Amino acid sequence: MRYLIPAIIFVLFAIWYLTFLARRLDRLHHRVDNSWANLDVLLQKRAAVALEIAHSDIADPASSLLLTGAAYQARDASIQYRSNAESGLSGALGLLLEDSRHLETAADSQLLTELSALTDKIRVAIAIHTDAVSRSQMLRRKFVVRTFRLAGNAPLPVTYEFEADVL
Amino acid sequence: MLSKLLKIGIVCPYSWDTPGGVGNHVRDLAEYLIAQGHDVSVLAPASEDALLPSYVVNAGKPISIPYNGAVARILFGPVAYSRVRNWIAEGNFDLLHLHEPAIPSISLLACWAAEGPMIGTFHAAAKHQKIIFAIGPILEPAIEKLSARIAVSEAARLTLTDHLDTDAVVIPNGIYASRYMHGSPQSKWQGNTIGFIGRFEESRKGLSVLLDALPVISRFAPDVKVFVAGPGDPEEVIKKIDPELRTRFEFLGKISESDKADFMASVALYVAPNTGGESFGIILAEALAGGACVVASDIPAFADLLGHGQYGALFESENSTELAKVIIDLLRNQDKRMDLTKSGKAHAQIFDWSVVAEQIYSVYEMSMVGGSKVRVAQDSRSWSRFLSKEEKP
Repeated sequence: MRYLIPAIIFVLFAIWYLTFLARRLDRLHHRVDNSWANLDVLLQKRAAVALEIAHSDIADPASSLLLTGAAYQARDASIQYRSNAESGLSGALGLLLEDSRHLETAADSQLLTELSALTDKIRVAIAIHTDAVSRSQMLRRKFVVRTFRLAGNAPLPVTYEFEADVL
Repeated sequence: MLSKLLKIGIVCPYSWDTPGGVGNHVRDLAEYLIAQGHDVSVLAPASEDALLPSYVVNAGKPISIPYNGAVARILFGPVAYSRVRNWIAEGNFDLLHLHEPAIPSISLLACWAAEGPMIGTFHAAAKHQKIIFAIGPILEPAIEKLSARIAVSEAARLTLTDHLDTDAVVIPNGIYASRYMHGSPQSKWQGNTIGFIGRFEESRKGLSVLLDALPVISRFAPDVKVFVAGPGDPEEVIKKIDPELRTRFEFLGKISESDKADFMASVALYVAPNTGGESFGIILAEALAGGACVVASDIPAFADLLGHGQYGALFESENSTELAKVIIDLLRNQDKRMDLTKSGKAHAQIFDWSVVAEQIYSVYEMSMVGGSKVRVAQDSRSWSRFLSKEEKP
Protein backbone atom coordinates (compact mmCIF):
# COMPACT_ATOMS: atom_id res chain seq x y z
CA MET A 1 0.00 0.00 0.00
CA ARG A 2 2.85 2.29 0.90
CA TYR A 3 4.33 2.04 -2.57
CA LEU A 4 1.06 2.21 -4.42
CA ILE A 5 0.71 5.98 -4.67
CA PRO A 6 4.29 6.65 -5.76
CA ALA A 7 3.93 3.79 -8.22
CA ILE A 8 0.75 5.28 -9.68
CA ILE A 9 2.38 8.68 -9.94
CA PHE A 10 5.36 7.14 -11.64
CA VAL A 11 3.19 5.27 -14.13
CA LEU A 12 1.16 8.40 -14.88
CA PHE A 13 4.31 10.36 -15.40
CA ALA A 14 5.74 7.65 -17.64
CA ILE A 15 2.59 7.65 -19.75
CA TRP A 16 2.64 11.43 -20.01
CA TYR A 17 6.30 11.42 -20.97
CA LEU A 18 5.81 8.77 -23.63
CA THR A 19 2.88 10.58 -25.24
CA PHE A 20 4.86 13.80 -25.04
CA LEU A 21 7.78 12.20 -26.87
CA ALA A 22 5.49 10.55 -29.40
CA ARG A 23 3.87 13.89 -30.15
CA ARG A 24 7.24 15.56 -30.55
CA LEU A 25 8.27 12.84 -32.94
CA ASP A 26 5.07 13.11 -34.91
CA ARG A 27 5.52 16.83 -35.23
CA LEU A 28 9.08 16.39 -36.45
CA HIS A 29 8.00 13.85 -39.04
CA HIS A 30 5.47 16.35 -40.29
CA ARG A 31 8.16 18.96 -40.51
CA VAL A 32 10.35 16.61 -42.52
CA ASP A 33 7.47 15.82 -44.91
CA ASN A 34 6.57 19.47 -45.38
CA SER A 35 10.09 20.70 -45.87
CA TRP A 36 10.77 17.90 -48.34
CA ALA A 37 7.60 18.68 -50.28
CA ASN A 38 8.70 22.30 -50.42
CA LEU A 39 12.21 21.41 -51.57
CA ASP A 40 10.82 18.99 -54.14
CA VAL A 41 8.62 21.67 -55.70
CA LEU A 42 11.52 24.09 -55.89
CA LEU A 43 13.77 21.48 -57.50
CA GLN A 44 11.10 20.69 -60.09
CA LYS A 45 10.85 24.39 -60.85
CA ARG A 46 14.58 24.57 -61.25
CA ALA A 47 14.50 21.71 -63.74
CA ALA A 48 11.80 23.58 -65.67
CA VAL A 49 13.85 26.77 -65.73
CA ALA A 50 16.90 24.76 -66.79
CA LEU A 51 14.91 23.41 -69.74
CA GLU A 52 13.89 26.91 -70.70
CA ILE A 53 17.47 28.04 -70.54
CA ALA A 54 18.46 25.07 -72.68
CA HIS A 55 16.02 26.23 -75.36
CA SER A 56 17.08 29.87 -75.17
CA ASP A 57 20.00 31.65 -76.79
CA ILE A 58 22.12 31.45 -73.68
CA ALA A 59 23.07 27.87 -74.32
CA ASP A 60 25.11 26.77 -77.31
CA PRO A 61 23.91 23.52 -78.95
CA ALA A 62 26.31 21.30 -77.00
CA SER A 63 25.49 22.67 -73.55
CA SER A 64 21.84 22.80 -74.54
CA LEU A 65 21.98 19.07 -75.14
CA LEU A 66 23.77 18.47 -71.87
CA LEU A 67 21.34 20.66 -69.93
CA THR A 68 18.22 19.14 -71.48
CA GLY A 69 19.46 15.66 -70.62
CA ALA A 70 20.29 16.63 -67.06
CA ALA A 71 16.99 18.44 -66.54
CA TYR A 72 14.93 15.49 -67.78
CA GLN A 73 16.93 13.12 -65.63
CA ALA A 74 16.35 15.30 -62.57
CA ARG A 75 12.63 15.47 -63.24
CA ASP A 76 12.11 11.79 -63.86
CA ALA A 77 14.59 10.25 -61.45
CA SER A 78 13.16 7.94 -58.82
CA ILE A 79 14.15 8.72 -55.29
CA GLN A 80 17.31 6.53 -55.22
CA TYR A 81 18.71 8.25 -58.30
CA ARG A 82 17.45 11.72 -57.43
CA SER A 83 20.66 12.59 -55.68
CA ASN A 84 22.84 11.90 -58.70
CA ALA A 85 20.41 13.52 -61.09
CA GLU A 86 20.14 16.78 -59.13
CA SER A 87 23.89 17.00 -58.69
CA GLY A 88 24.23 16.43 -62.41
CA LEU A 89 21.86 19.29 -63.13
CA SER A 90 23.72 21.53 -60.70
CA GLY A 91 26.94 20.71 -62.50
CA ALA A 92 25.49 21.39 -65.93
CA LEU A 93 23.99 24.71 -64.81
CA GLY A 94 27.22 25.65 -63.10
CA LEU A 95 29.23 25.09 -66.28
CA LEU A 96 26.82 27.15 -68.32
CA LEU A 97 26.64 30.04 -65.86
CA GLU A 98 30.41 30.16 -65.64
CA ASP A 99 30.53 30.60 -69.42
CA SER A 100 27.61 32.92 -69.98
CA ARG A 101 28.77 35.50 -67.48
CA HIS A 102 30.36 37.46 -70.33
CA LEU A 103 27.48 37.61 -72.78
CA GLU A 104 24.21 39.04 -71.57
CA THR A 105 21.08 39.85 -73.50
CA ALA A 106 17.98 41.32 -71.91
CA ALA A 107 15.53 38.44 -72.28
CA ASP A 108 18.06 35.84 -71.26
CA SER A 109 19.20 37.64 -68.18
CA GLN A 110 15.61 37.46 -66.96
CA LEU A 111 15.85 33.67 -67.05
CA LEU A 112 19.14 33.85 -65.23
CA THR A 113 17.76 36.09 -62.49
CA GLU A 114 14.88 33.68 -62.12
CA LEU A 115 17.36 30.87 -61.78
CA SER A 116 19.44 32.70 -59.19
CA ALA A 117 16.34 33.63 -57.18
CA LEU A 118 15.31 29.99 -57.29
CA THR A 119 18.77 28.87 -56.25
CA ASP A 120 18.64 31.16 -53.22
CA LYS A 121 15.29 29.69 -52.25
CA ILE A 122 16.56 26.16 -52.74
CA ARG A 123 19.49 26.89 -50.48
CA VAL A 124 17.13 28.05 -47.74
CA ALA A 125 14.79 25.10 -48.32
CA ILE A 126 17.72 22.70 -48.01
CA ALA A 127 18.82 24.27 -44.74
CA ILE A 128 15.29 23.96 -43.36
CA HIS A 129 14.95 20.38 -44.55
CA THR A 130 18.30 19.14 -43.29
CA ASP A 131 17.61 20.70 -39.92
CA ALA A 132 14.27 18.90 -39.64
CA VAL A 133 15.89 15.65 -40.72
CA SER A 134 18.77 15.87 -38.28
CA ARG A 135 16.44 16.81 -35.42
CA SER A 136 14.23 13.82 -36.02
CA GLN A 137 17.20 11.53 -36.42
CA MET A 138 18.49 12.79 -33.08
CA LEU A 139 15.18 12.11 -31.37
CA ARG A 140 14.84 8.72 -33.05
CA ARG A 141 18.19 7.68 -31.59
CA LYS A 142 16.93 8.22 -28.05
CA PHE A 143 16.85 5.07 -25.97
CA VAL A 144 13.25 5.52 -24.83
CA VAL A 145 12.05 6.21 -28.36
CA ARG A 146 13.71 3.06 -29.66
CA THR A 147 12.63 0.77 -26.83
CA PHE A 148 9.00 1.77 -26.93
CA ARG A 149 8.96 1.97 -30.74
CA LEU A 150 7.41 5.41 -30.55
CA ALA A 151 8.14 6.02 -34.21
CA GLY A 152 5.87 3.14 -35.23
CA ASN A 153 6.37 2.23 -38.86
CA ALA A 154 7.49 5.67 -39.99
CA PRO A 155 10.69 5.41 -42.02
CA LEU A 156 13.79 7.07 -40.62
CA PRO A 157 14.28 10.39 -42.43
CA VAL A 158 17.43 10.47 -44.50
CA THR A 159 19.55 13.29 -45.88
CA TYR A 160 20.22 13.11 -49.58
CA GLU A 161 23.72 13.69 -50.79
CA PHE A 162 22.90 16.36 -53.29
CA GLU A 163 21.63 18.59 -50.55
CA ALA A 164 25.18 19.61 -49.79
CA ASP A 165 26.15 20.70 -53.28
CA VAL A 166 23.18 22.15 -55.11
CA LEU A 167 24.98 25.16 -56.60
CA MET B 1 6.47 39.96 -55.50
CA LEU B 2 4.52 39.51 -52.28
CA SER B 3 1.51 37.72 -53.62
CA LYS B 4 -0.91 35.92 -51.32
CA LEU B 5 -2.28 37.99 -48.47
CA LEU B 6 -1.76 36.40 -45.09
CA LYS B 7 -2.87 36.73 -41.51
CA ILE B 8 0.41 36.96 -39.64
CA GLY B 9 0.99 36.95 -35.89
CA ILE B 10 4.27 38.40 -34.66
CA VAL B 11 5.42 38.08 -31.08
CA CYS B 12 7.89 40.55 -29.60
CA PRO B 13 9.41 39.39 -26.30
CA TYR B 14 10.54 42.80 -25.05
CA SER B 15 8.47 45.68 -23.79
CA TRP B 16 7.03 47.85 -26.56
CA ASP B 17 7.58 51.08 -24.55
CA THR B 18 11.35 50.77 -24.36
CA PRO B 19 13.01 51.11 -27.74
CA GLY B 20 15.52 48.43 -28.58
CA GLY B 21 16.94 46.54 -31.51
CA VAL B 22 14.41 43.71 -31.49
CA GLY B 23 11.45 46.01 -30.92
CA ASN B 24 12.44 48.31 -33.76
CA HIS B 25 12.90 45.33 -36.04
CA VAL B 26 9.46 43.97 -35.18
CA ARG B 27 7.85 47.38 -35.68
CA ASP B 28 9.46 47.97 -39.07
CA LEU B 29 8.69 44.45 -40.26
CA ALA B 30 5.06 44.67 -39.14
CA GLU B 31 4.63 48.05 -40.82
CA TYR B 32 6.24 46.82 -44.01
CA LEU B 33 3.99 43.77 -44.14
CA ILE B 34 0.90 45.87 -43.43
CA ALA B 35 1.88 48.21 -46.24
CA GLN B 36 1.98 45.16 -48.51
CA GLY B 37 -1.62 44.42 -47.56
CA HIS B 38 -1.12 41.62 -45.05
CA ASP B 39 -3.13 41.43 -41.88
CA VAL B 40 -0.62 41.66 -39.04
CA SER B 41 -1.11 41.43 -35.30
CA VAL B 42 1.82 42.00 -32.94
CA LEU B 43 1.72 40.67 -29.40
CA ALA B 44 4.06 42.51 -27.06
CA PRO B 45 4.36 43.34 -23.38
CA ALA B 46 3.66 46.99 -22.57
CA SER B 47 2.67 49.05 -19.58
CA GLU B 48 -1.04 49.68 -19.21
CA ASP B 49 -1.08 53.34 -20.17
CA ALA B 50 1.25 52.92 -23.14
CA LEU B 51 0.09 54.34 -26.44
CA LEU B 52 0.13 51.43 -28.84
CA PRO B 53 -0.33 51.41 -32.60
CA SER B 54 -3.54 49.69 -33.71
CA TYR B 55 -1.78 46.47 -34.77
CA VAL B 56 -0.21 45.85 -31.34
CA VAL B 57 -1.97 43.73 -28.71
CA ASN B 58 -0.85 44.30 -25.14
CA ALA B 59 0.19 41.05 -23.44
CA GLY B 60 0.60 42.59 -20.00
CA LYS B 61 2.98 44.63 -17.91
CA PRO B 62 6.62 43.61 -18.36
CA ILE B 63 9.03 42.66 -15.58
CA SER B 64 12.54 44.13 -15.56
CA ILE B 65 15.39 41.69 -15.15
CA PRO B 66 19.11 42.14 -15.79
CA TYR B 67 20.06 40.27 -18.93
CA ASN B 68 22.95 40.38 -21.41
CA GLY B 69 24.60 43.43 -19.86
CA ALA B 70 21.44 45.50 -19.89
CA VAL B 71 18.04 45.48 -18.28
CA ALA B 72 15.57 43.42 -20.27
CA ARG B 73 11.89 44.11 -19.89
CA ILE B 74 10.16 40.81 -20.52
CA LEU B 75 7.01 38.95 -19.50
CA PHE B 76 6.08 35.46 -18.39
CA GLY B 77 3.84 33.66 -15.91
CA PRO B 78 0.47 31.91 -15.97
CA VAL B 79 -1.57 35.02 -16.74
CA ALA B 80 0.65 35.92 -19.65
CA TYR B 81 0.48 32.32 -20.85
CA SER B 82 -3.30 32.30 -20.96
CA ARG B 83 -3.31 35.65 -22.77
CA VAL B 84 -0.89 34.28 -25.34
CA ARG B 85 -3.11 31.23 -25.84
CA ASN B 86 -6.23 33.33 -26.27
CA TRP B 87 -4.44 35.54 -28.77
CA ILE B 88 -3.46 32.45 -30.77
CA ALA B 89 -6.92 30.87 -30.50
CA GLU B 90 -8.71 34.03 -31.58
CA GLY B 91 -6.23 35.21 -34.18
CA ASN B 92 -6.80 32.42 -36.72
CA PHE B 93 -3.30 33.06 -38.04
CA ASP B 94 -1.77 31.56 -41.16
CA LEU B 95 1.60 31.84 -39.57
CA LEU B 96 3.36 32.89 -36.37
CA HIS B 97 6.65 34.75 -36.37
CA LEU B 98 8.32 34.55 -32.97
CA HIS B 99 11.22 36.78 -32.10
CA GLU B 100 13.92 35.59 -29.75
CA PRO B 101 12.09 32.40 -28.67
CA ALA B 102 15.07 31.25 -26.62
CA ILE B 103 14.66 33.79 -23.86
CA PRO B 104 12.05 33.39 -21.13
CA SER B 105 9.37 35.70 -22.45
CA ILE B 106 6.11 35.52 -24.38
CA SER B 107 7.76 34.30 -27.59
CA LEU B 108 8.73 31.11 -25.82
CA LEU B 109 5.24 30.85 -24.33
CA ALA B 110 3.70 31.25 -27.77
CA CYS B 111 6.05 28.63 -29.16
CA TRP B 112 4.93 26.31 -26.39
CA ALA B 113 1.24 27.00 -26.84
CA ALA B 114 0.92 26.92 -30.62
CA GLU B 115 1.09 24.35 -33.37
CA GLY B 116 1.40 24.84 -37.11
CA PRO B 117 3.58 27.06 -39.29
CA MET B 118 5.93 28.93 -36.96
CA ILE B 119 9.11 30.82 -37.63
CA GLY B 120 11.63 31.92 -35.05
CA THR B 121 14.08 34.78 -35.45
CA PHE B 122 17.13 34.70 -33.23
CA HIS B 123 18.77 38.04 -32.60
CA ALA B 124 21.16 37.45 -29.74
CA ALA B 125 24.80 36.59 -30.14
CA ALA B 126 26.84 36.47 -26.99
CA LYS B 127 29.07 34.06 -25.16
CA HIS B 128 27.67 34.63 -21.70
CA GLN B 129 24.26 33.48 -22.76
CA LYS B 130 25.36 30.08 -21.55
CA ILE B 131 23.15 30.35 -18.49
CA ILE B 132 20.09 30.81 -20.61
CA PHE B 133 21.14 28.18 -23.08
CA ALA B 134 22.06 25.73 -20.34
CA ILE B 135 18.37 25.06 -20.02
CA GLY B 136 18.53 23.73 -23.58
CA PRO B 137 16.83 20.42 -22.80
CA ILE B 138 13.78 22.34 -21.63
CA LEU B 139 13.83 24.64 -24.62
CA GLU B 140 14.45 21.93 -27.19
CA PRO B 141 10.93 20.51 -27.49
CA ALA B 142 9.60 24.02 -27.95
CA ILE B 143 12.28 25.25 -30.34
CA GLU B 144 12.01 22.20 -32.57
CA LYS B 145 8.36 23.03 -33.26
CA LEU B 146 9.53 25.99 -35.31
CA SER B 147 9.29 25.12 -38.98
CA ALA B 148 12.13 27.47 -39.83
CA ARG B 149 14.72 29.45 -37.93
CA ILE B 150 16.18 32.77 -38.96
CA ALA B 151 19.34 34.24 -37.48
CA VAL B 152 20.02 37.94 -38.02
CA SER B 153 23.75 37.48 -38.52
CA GLU B 154 26.42 34.85 -38.84
CA ALA B 155 27.30 35.54 -35.19
CA ALA B 156 23.73 34.87 -34.09
CA ARG B 157 23.69 31.69 -36.16
CA LEU B 158 26.85 30.42 -34.48
CA THR B 159 25.38 31.12 -31.05
CA LEU B 160 22.41 29.04 -32.07
CA THR B 161 24.36 26.11 -33.48
CA ASP B 162 26.66 26.07 -30.47
CA HIS B 163 23.99 26.18 -27.82
CA LEU B 164 20.87 24.65 -29.27
CA ASP B 165 22.40 22.37 -31.85
CA THR B 166 20.20 23.60 -34.63
CA ASP B 167 20.86 25.45 -37.86
CA ALA B 168 19.32 28.66 -39.13
CA VAL B 169 18.99 30.70 -42.27
CA VAL B 170 20.79 34.04 -42.06
CA ILE B 171 18.61 37.01 -42.98
CA PRO B 172 19.94 40.40 -41.83
CA ASN B 173 17.98 43.01 -39.94
CA GLY B 174 16.27 45.52 -42.16
CA ILE B 175 16.56 49.30 -42.47
CA TYR B 176 14.68 51.77 -44.61
CA ALA B 177 17.74 52.64 -46.64
CA SER B 178 15.97 55.43 -48.51
CA ARG B 179 15.45 57.35 -45.26
CA TYR B 180 19.19 57.65 -44.82
CA MET B 181 20.25 58.04 -48.41
CA HIS B 182 19.32 61.66 -48.91
CA GLY B 183 20.76 63.34 -45.83
CA SER B 184 22.13 66.79 -46.56
CA PRO B 185 25.60 67.52 -45.18
CA GLN B 186 25.53 70.10 -42.37
CA SER B 187 28.53 72.37 -42.14
CA LYS B 188 28.50 72.28 -38.31
CA TRP B 189 29.31 68.56 -38.43
CA GLN B 190 31.79 68.66 -41.29
CA GLY B 191 35.57 68.82 -41.29
CA ASN B 192 37.81 66.52 -39.31
CA THR B 193 34.87 65.13 -37.37
CA ILE B 194 34.16 61.83 -35.73
CA GLY B 195 30.59 60.69 -35.06
CA PHE B 196 29.30 58.28 -32.44
CA ILE B 197 25.69 57.30 -31.85
CA GLY B 198 24.44 55.11 -29.01
CA ARG B 199 23.75 54.85 -25.30
CA PHE B 200 27.25 56.02 -24.42
CA GLU B 201 26.88 55.25 -20.71
CA GLU B 202 26.84 51.51 -21.38
CA SER B 203 30.41 50.27 -21.32
CA ARG B 204 29.81 47.75 -24.12
CA LYS B 205 29.16 50.61 -26.52
CA GLY B 206 32.87 51.35 -26.11
CA LEU B 207 32.96 55.15 -25.92
CA SER B 208 35.87 54.84 -23.49
CA VAL B 209 37.97 53.18 -26.20
CA LEU B 210 37.43 56.25 -28.35
CA LEU B 211 38.25 58.54 -25.38
CA ASP B 212 41.56 56.72 -24.88
CA ALA B 213 42.42 57.09 -28.54
CA LEU B 214 41.72 60.81 -28.69
CA PRO B 215 44.95 62.20 -27.20
CA VAL B 216 46.94 60.52 -29.98
CA ILE B 217 44.45 61.54 -32.65
CA SER B 218 44.45 65.18 -31.59
CA ARG B 219 48.24 65.27 -31.82
CA PHE B 220 48.06 64.39 -35.51
CA ALA B 221 44.83 66.17 -36.30
CA PRO B 222 44.61 69.17 -33.96
CA ASP B 223 41.25 70.33 -35.28
CA VAL B 224 39.48 67.01 -34.70
CA LYS B 225 36.01 67.13 -33.17
CA VAL B 226 33.93 64.32 -31.72
CA PHE B 227 30.13 64.40 -31.83
CA VAL B 228 28.37 62.01 -29.49
CA ALA B 229 24.65 61.47 -30.02
CA GLY B 230 22.37 59.27 -27.99
CA PRO B 231 20.40 59.26 -24.75
CA GLY B 232 22.29 59.59 -21.46
CA ASP B 233 23.87 62.00 -19.03
CA PRO B 234 27.12 63.44 -20.45
CA GLU B 235 28.39 64.78 -17.08
CA GLU B 236 29.86 61.45 -15.99
CA VAL B 237 31.68 61.01 -19.27
CA ILE B 238 32.98 64.58 -19.39
CA LYS B 239 34.64 64.09 -16.00
CA LYS B 240 36.72 61.28 -17.47
CA ILE B 241 37.99 63.37 -20.36
CA ASP B 242 41.34 65.10 -20.17
CA PRO B 243 40.43 68.81 -19.48
CA GLU B 244 42.45 69.98 -22.48
CA LEU B 245 40.43 67.80 -24.77
CA ARG B 246 36.99 68.62 -23.40
CA THR B 247 36.40 71.26 -26.03
CA ARG B 248 36.85 68.63 -28.68
CA PHE B 249 33.66 66.94 -27.54
CA GLU B 250 30.10 67.85 -28.19
CA PHE B 251 27.14 65.93 -26.83
CA LEU B 252 24.05 66.21 -28.98
CA GLY B 253 21.61 64.17 -26.92
CA LYS B 254 19.08 62.04 -28.70
CA ILE B 255 18.70 62.98 -32.35
CA SER B 256 15.81 62.42 -34.73
CA GLU B 257 15.88 60.06 -37.70
CA SER B 258 16.23 62.87 -40.23
CA ASP B 259 19.01 64.47 -38.17
CA LYS B 260 20.66 61.06 -38.15
CA ALA B 261 20.66 60.99 -41.95
CA ASP B 262 22.25 64.46 -42.06
CA PHE B 263 24.70 63.43 -39.36
CA MET B 264 25.85 60.38 -41.32
CA ALA B 265 26.19 62.44 -44.49
CA SER B 266 28.28 65.09 -42.70
CA VAL B 267 30.81 63.48 -40.40
CA ALA B 268 34.17 62.48 -41.82
CA LEU B 269 34.16 59.21 -39.90
CA TYR B 270 31.53 57.23 -38.03
CA VAL B 271 33.12 55.23 -35.23
CA ALA B 272 31.57 52.16 -33.55
CA PRO B 273 34.01 50.98 -30.89
CA ASN B 274 31.57 48.47 -29.31
CA THR B 275 33.31 45.87 -27.20
CA GLY B 276 30.78 43.07 -27.57
CA GLY B 277 27.22 42.00 -26.99
CA GLU B 278 26.23 43.06 -30.50
CA SER B 279 24.65 40.54 -32.79
CA PHE B 280 24.03 42.67 -35.83
CA GLY B 281 24.89 46.37 -35.64
CA ILE B 282 21.90 48.05 -37.26
CA ILE B 283 23.51 51.44 -36.70
CA LEU B 284 26.37 50.42 -38.99
CA ALA B 285 23.91 49.50 -41.73
CA GLU B 286 22.30 52.91 -41.28
CA ALA B 287 25.67 54.64 -41.30
CA LEU B 288 26.63 52.88 -44.54
CA ALA B 289 23.30 53.76 -46.14
CA GLY B 290 23.74 57.37 -45.02
CA GLY B 291 27.10 57.57 -46.74
CA ALA B 292 29.37 57.67 -43.71
CA CYS B 293 32.83 56.21 -43.72
CA VAL B 294 32.66 53.62 -40.95
CA VAL B 295 35.35 52.58 -38.49
CA ALA B 296 34.29 49.69 -36.25
CA SER B 297 35.75 47.23 -33.78
CA ASP B 298 36.35 43.77 -35.21
CA ILE B 299 33.78 41.94 -33.10
CA PRO B 300 32.24 39.12 -35.21
CA ALA B 301 28.94 40.85 -36.01
CA PHE B 302 30.61 44.07 -37.18
CA ALA B 303 33.37 42.34 -39.14
CA ASP B 304 30.68 40.32 -40.86
CA LEU B 305 28.49 43.32 -41.67
CA LEU B 306 31.44 45.30 -43.02
CA GLY B 307 32.54 42.45 -45.28
CA HIS B 308 35.71 42.02 -43.19
CA GLY B 309 36.98 45.48 -44.06
CA GLN B 310 35.59 45.80 -47.57
CA TYR B 311 32.85 48.31 -46.69
CA GLY B 312 34.38 49.99 -43.66
CA ALA B 313 37.62 49.99 -41.68
CA LEU B 314 38.09 47.62 -38.74
CA PHE B 315 40.34 47.80 -35.70
CA GLU B 316 41.10 45.28 -32.97
CA SER B 317 38.33 45.52 -30.37
CA GLU B 318 39.28 47.48 -27.20
CA ASN B 319 42.65 48.46 -28.68
CA SER B 320 42.62 52.26 -28.60
CA THR B 321 46.13 52.55 -30.09
CA GLU B 322 45.02 50.74 -33.21
CA LEU B 323 41.80 52.74 -33.32
CA ALA B 324 43.85 55.96 -33.27
CA LYS B 325 46.05 54.65 -36.06
CA VAL B 326 43.08 53.72 -38.26
CA ILE B 327 41.34 57.05 -37.65
CA ILE B 328 44.44 59.17 -38.37
CA ASP B 329 45.15 57.20 -41.51
CA LEU B 330 41.61 57.73 -42.79
CA LEU B 331 41.41 61.41 -41.81
CA ARG B 332 44.55 62.05 -43.87
CA ASN B 333 43.55 59.96 -46.84
CA GLN B 334 40.45 61.33 -48.45
CA ASP B 335 40.55 58.98 -51.46
CA LYS B 336 40.47 55.94 -49.23
CA ARG B 337 37.56 57.42 -47.34
CA MET B 338 35.67 58.06 -50.56
CA ASP B 339 36.25 54.49 -51.72
CA LEU B 340 34.93 53.01 -48.49
CA THR B 341 31.93 55.33 -48.50
CA LYS B 342 31.06 54.42 -52.05
CA SER B 343 31.29 50.66 -51.63
CA GLY B 344 29.53 50.88 -48.26
CA LYS B 345 26.60 52.83 -49.64
CA ALA B 346 26.10 50.30 -52.43
CA HIS B 347 26.39 47.40 -50.01
CA ALA B 348 23.82 48.90 -47.62
CA GLN B 349 21.08 48.25 -50.17
CA ILE B 350 21.00 44.57 -49.17
CA PHE B 351 19.71 45.67 -45.76
CA ASP B 352 16.81 47.59 -47.21
CA TRP B 353 13.40 46.32 -46.15
CA SER B 354 12.38 45.68 -49.74
CA VAL B 355 15.14 43.06 -49.94
CA VAL B 356 15.03 41.75 -46.39
CA ALA B 357 11.25 41.39 -46.18
CA GLU B 358 11.24 39.47 -49.48
CA GLN B 359 13.68 37.01 -47.98
CA ILE B 360 11.61 36.69 -44.82
CA TYR B 361 8.48 36.27 -46.90
CA SER B 362 9.99 33.45 -48.92
CA VAL B 363 10.72 31.64 -45.65
CA TYR B 364 7.08 32.26 -44.68
CA GLU B 365 5.96 30.61 -47.90
CA MET B 366 8.19 27.63 -47.34
CA SER B 367 6.91 27.02 -43.85
CA MET B 368 3.29 27.09 -44.99
CA VAL B 369 3.65 24.27 -47.50
CA GLY B 370 1.65 21.87 -45.33
CA GLY B 371 -1.38 24.11 -45.76
CA SER B 372 -2.44 24.00 -42.11
CA LYS B 373 -3.14 27.06 -39.99
CA VAL B 374 -1.82 28.02 -36.59
CA ARG B 375 -3.83 26.58 -33.71
CA VAL B 376 -3.46 26.03 -30.01
CA ALA B 377 -1.29 22.96 -29.46
CA GLN B 378 -2.97 19.71 -28.56
CA ASP B 379 -0.98 19.10 -25.38
CA SER B 380 -1.78 22.59 -24.24
CA ARG B 381 -5.50 21.97 -24.91
CA SER B 382 -5.64 18.72 -22.97
CA TRP B 383 -3.72 20.33 -20.14
CA SER B 384 -6.35 23.01 -19.71
CA ARG B 385 -9.13 20.42 -19.95
CA PHE B 386 -7.33 18.59 -17.18
CA LEU B 387 -7.49 21.75 -15.11
CA SER B 388 -11.18 21.89 -16.12
CA LYS B 389 -10.88 25.31 -17.70
CA GLU B 390 -13.33 26.36 -20.34
CA GLU B 391 -11.90 25.88 -23.80
CA LYS B 392 -12.25 28.83 -26.14
CA PRO B 393 -14.15 27.85 -29.27
